[in-house]
Amino acid sequence: MEEIARVFGLNWKLFLVQTVNFSVLLLVLWYFLYRPVLQMIDERRQKIEKGVKSAEKAEKRLDEIENEREGVLKKATTEAGEILSTSKDRAQEKASEIVSEAENRADSLVDSAQQRAEEMKDRALRESKEEIGKAAILAAEQILRKK
Amino acid sequence: MENSNSAIENAADVTYAAQETATYADSGIHIALAAEQVGVFFGVPITNTLITSWIIMLLLAIIAFFVGRNLRVIPGRIQTFFEEMLSFMLGYMGEVLEDTKLARKLFPLIATLFLFIALSNLLEFTPGIGSLGFVESTRDGEVFTSVLRSVNTDLNVTLALAVIAFLSIEIVGVATLGTLTYASKFFNFKSVLGFLVGIIELFSEFARLISFSFRLFGNILAGEVLIVVIASFVPLFLPVPMMLFEVFVGLIQAAIFALLTLFFVKIAITKPH
Repeated sequence: MEEIARVFGLNWKLFLVQTVNFSVLLLVLWYFLYRPVLQMIDERRQKIEKGVKSAEKAEKRLDEIENEREGVLKKATTEAGEILSTSKDRAQEKASEIVSEAENRADSLVDSAQQRAEEMKDRALRESKEEIGKAAILAAEQILRKK
Repeated sequence: MENSNSAIENAADVTYAAQETATYADSGIHIALAAEQVGVFFGVPITNTLITSWIIMLLLAIIAFFVGRNLRVIPGRIQTFFEEMLSFMLGYMGEVLEDTKLARKLFPLIATLFLFIALSNLLEFTPGIGSLGFVESTRDGEVFTSVLRSVNTDLNVTLALAVIAFLSIEIVGVATLGTLTYASKFFNFKSVLGFLVGIIELFSEFARLISFSFRLFGNILAGEVLIVVIASFVPLFLPVPMMLFEVFVGLIQAAIFALLTLFFVKIAITKPH
């Protein structure tokens, strides 16, 4: 055993020094290289994850907005159509109302005019009758005076 | 008995001496299994591999510091490279372990094993490693000692890595399954066959220490030896494709070390049935 150790230059002090060396190297590399590099990788992964998530969210929101817009547009179009059709209906109604009212009024005007004409005729007749009566009385008086 | 013992020791001394100085005067090939000592610091022998491993550590620390400090949400090229590499490793670990939390906890160990071994092996043939050094006069004549030596050609390093991996595997196993359940993998008294299998498992568990350390050590050292031998025959051009291949082997070995640690952890956290 000792022979082997001597041939290969084994020395417990050297062995310990090399062990310590490696341990120190491990600590140094861990502190200066592995820890910060892995941290950076994790950080970047988180950032990418966040970015992807927010992009997805934005896309979703965009879709929602698009849908909303379409909905509003559709609603507005139908409403406008409704308004148009109701206003058309109402206009027609109004027009027919106005026409019928005018007809009524014309009828009533004609009626009242006829009535008044008849009344006038009646009065004229009555007045002429009265006149005729008066004239007859006057004529009779004159005849009587002459006699 | 004593005679034969001392004879063996003598023979071993001779081989040791050969390996230590390892100067084959006629061929000029210099191969040493052990790292050469450059100096002593507070009783700790400073070997050339130790110096190289400090340089590797420093390089990794500097890279880590600059990459870690300049992180941006929108990454640059270097940041992308590190992020891709680390997140690939982490993702793969999560798939193998089927446990994202445990993968996160174990990640620094596996990643550091890979990065340290890979960078050490990548810089294996950097000019200067193995060639910068000084000449000493010893009783065997002039001996060249290099100041830098590829890190994983030192069994101390690979054994340290193996022990760390081994302990981590056992600790994770015990922490996940609980001491009794984990121990029941190796001490199974339900049947004779189960008991035998358990003992074999226990042995193979400890054999990992040896396989882990010697696989890495052997592969990298063999590559160096191959290059040295080829370079001594054909110093120009021919070593280049071999060096490329050895760098590839070095990367593969780094991946194997890290992956085996990961797989053994997966085995350790799997419930016995």
